[in-house]
Amino acid sequence: MAIVSAVSDKWVLVIDDMEGMRAQLRMALSSAGFAKLHLVGNIRDALEYMAKNRYDVVLCDYSLGDSTDGQQFLEYLRTNDLIARNTIFVMITAEQSYEKVVTASECAPDDYLLKPFTASQFNARLEKQLERQEYFTPIDKATDEKNWLRVIDECNKKLATKDKYYFELIKIKASALVKENRPQEAADLYREILALRPIGWARLGLARTLVMQGSKLEAQVLLQEIIADSPQFLAAYDLLARLLNESGDKQESLNILQKAREISPGTMSRVRELSTLAVSAGKPEIAEAVLKQALKKHKYSPVRQANDYAVLSTALVNQGKAKEALTLMDEVKTMFNDETSNVVIAATESVAHRAAGNTEQAEAALARAMSSGDRSKLPVQAMVSLANACYALGKEKDATDLLRHVVQNNQDDSSIKGKVHDVLVAAGKNTSEADAMIEESMKEVIMLNNNGVRKAEAGQLTEAIELLCQAADRLPNNLQFVGNASLVIALDIVRNGSTSEKLSRFIRYRDALKKKSPNHPKLAQIENLLKQMKK
Amino acid sequence: MNDLSAAVVHDVKNQLAELAMRLEKRGDAQQEMAIAINAARRLSEMLLIYRQDTNTLSVNSDTVNPADFLAILAAEYRELFPQTTIEINPDKAPQFAFFDDALVRMALSNALHNACRYAKSRVVLSAYEKDKMVVLEVSDDGHGYSASMMAEAGAEPSAVSGIGTGLGLYLARRIAELHQLDGRPGRIELGNAGGAVFRMMLP
Repeated sequence: MAIVSAVSDKWVLVIDDMEGMRAQLRMALSSAGFAKLHLVGNIRDALEYMAKNRYDVVLCDYSLGDSTDGQQFLEYLRTNDLIARNTIFVMITAEQSYEKVVTASECAPDDYLLKPFTASQFNARLEKQLERQEYFTPIDKATDEKNWLRVIDECNKKLATKDKYYFELIKIKASALVKENRPQEAADLYREILALRPIGWARLGLARTLVMQGSKLEAQVLLQEIIADSPQFLAAYDLLARLLNESGDKQESLNILQKAREISPGTMSRVRELSTLAVSAGKPEIAEAVLKQALKKHKYSPVRQANDYAVLSTALVNQGKAKEALTLMDEVKTMFNDETSNVVIAATESVAHRAAGNTEQAEAALARAMSSGDRSKLPVQAMVSLANACYALGKEKDATDLLRHVVQNNQDDSSIKGKVHDVLVAAGKNTSEADAMIEESMKEVIMLNNNGVRKAEAGQLTEAIELLCQAADRLPNNLQFVGNASLVIALDIVRNGSTSEKLSRFIRYRDALKKKSPNHPKLAQIENLLKQMKK
Repeated sequence: MNDLSAAVVHDVKNQLAELAMRLEKRGDAQQEMAIAINAARRLSEMLLIYRQDTNTLSVNSDTVNPADFLAILAAEYRELFPQTTIEINPDKAPQFAFFDDALVRMALSNALHNACRYAKSRVVLSAYEKDKMVVLEVSDDGHGYSASMMAEAGAEPSAVSGIGTGLGLYLARRIAELHQLDGRPGRIELGNAGGAVFRMMLP
């Protein structure tokens, strides 16, 4: 076979809980010339292998016993950037789960194999995938780097040839345009496809661009149509639920997510959306049922997070079952031991203790949660848990400080503002108070930034550097500060000469910016300054 | 068929698939493996028909490259029928077609299986466009379809005697019909031209 020589140095990982299936795949792979094989029986081992090796091909069975299934695993890998885009992910599935796999939209595998299959069918499919892998290598690399402009560029180069990958290229290019916040161009591409066929991903993509352009109602109508035509297209439910939630219709949003769950229990991300929404919509019993079921299924699986248990605990507390919540959190303590989880668990425990009337223990747990090291590194979820616990114990100021930090560190993320809003409302604020607090937090960073920029313009570089770097360190996700910090240090270097200390400081901020946003407009400004320096 | 019998069919199908897998490992039981694989597929078809009857069968069309599609199909059946020559005729195949890969593969597998069984020595797979439809064609050099089969052309098998080739053709017809564009459904066509010719036309 033609691929034999090419495949002998490809790394392959097989994940299947059935010994017999692993043996069959080993044989099929060996006879096709693959020599570098790892075979594992569960996703825990798979993750261990994937952390140590870079695989060219991953073959995964959809059904992996009673625990996390292949589709849920793939979603976990993609959302946590644990798998390179160029790695071929093939899902092995029986006909009854096939539909769940191919309609998974964003997290669909590259290919699927329907059982039963023969060795030759397997080889032929893999051969096509390897051909595809080579073709898409430059695009996939840019995707891994989240360099959307280069993704668009690479797609354009290949689109001109109108080869058999034309539609796939359009799909990738359109979603890169969406990422680059260019909805009109993306919409044009989706419409080009839809003029030919009502393909699911193009309809969903179009709905997404409509949302970005502010046509939320039009998007809702389109999503309803998609759901009516293909009830199994779950991504449409997710987006529709998000839109309804944002427009304040929590109940209807909840209904949509529950409908999606009836079709398929789905991935942890939907469970999370649904349960968080249910809690904030005043339906803790729904959150409890959904989370208990999911967490039972994923009992020993890495797809769970401490926060899932925190939401369950909140749902229990809100129903007056604080004792059960405390028992739950005792158990959870033994499951996680990273810093973020510890903060979330201690904060959640504090709330449950408070509800159970154990004020002293509540204070102690909160103190433990608040004593964690670097707060600027904590994810939003943990910050929110802390704020909730502070509110429960009447520590208004601490809570507000935490939420202000969350808003300021995620200046451009409207979904995070929504989360903060929910926390404030749950703590008893009315909507306008919550809006005002968020607004004020935003204003504060804008003023701080303007202040720094003004100082730089007035030639007070030392003060400007001090101010902007401090802000960038405190709010590492706020790219405005990170960008301006590196820019103002560069300016200092150009004007007053370089020292190794200045240079390493400059590089630290610039690289942080580049990593988070490879095409950030500030990077071009920085480049221009650097050119002056070289002269 | 009710849910319970569907579950039993599903279980038997999996056991047959397991059997096929073990036979493949032995290396000296090619034909036996082919029988087990085919039996498992027939049961998959039964399950599909069940889903179709209960309105839970839906089409997930996406772009497919017909030449690649046929190449994978041919590779598989060359293994199952080593004595038959299976050729692909992709010259007139369009660059893209829109259909549900898994469903159409199942329908074509069945047609190809029959062609291999009845062919003297040669089966040809082709893809081309005609009347704004993509045509997937399986032709063999056997004795062709009987007059009654051509007359029925995929009608729902009414008697037990019809369950054989009839069931596969029925399913193929239903799969074709589920592919619709602007109210225009797909269809199948049976013909005789130096052997049997099976065509699936998709809008």
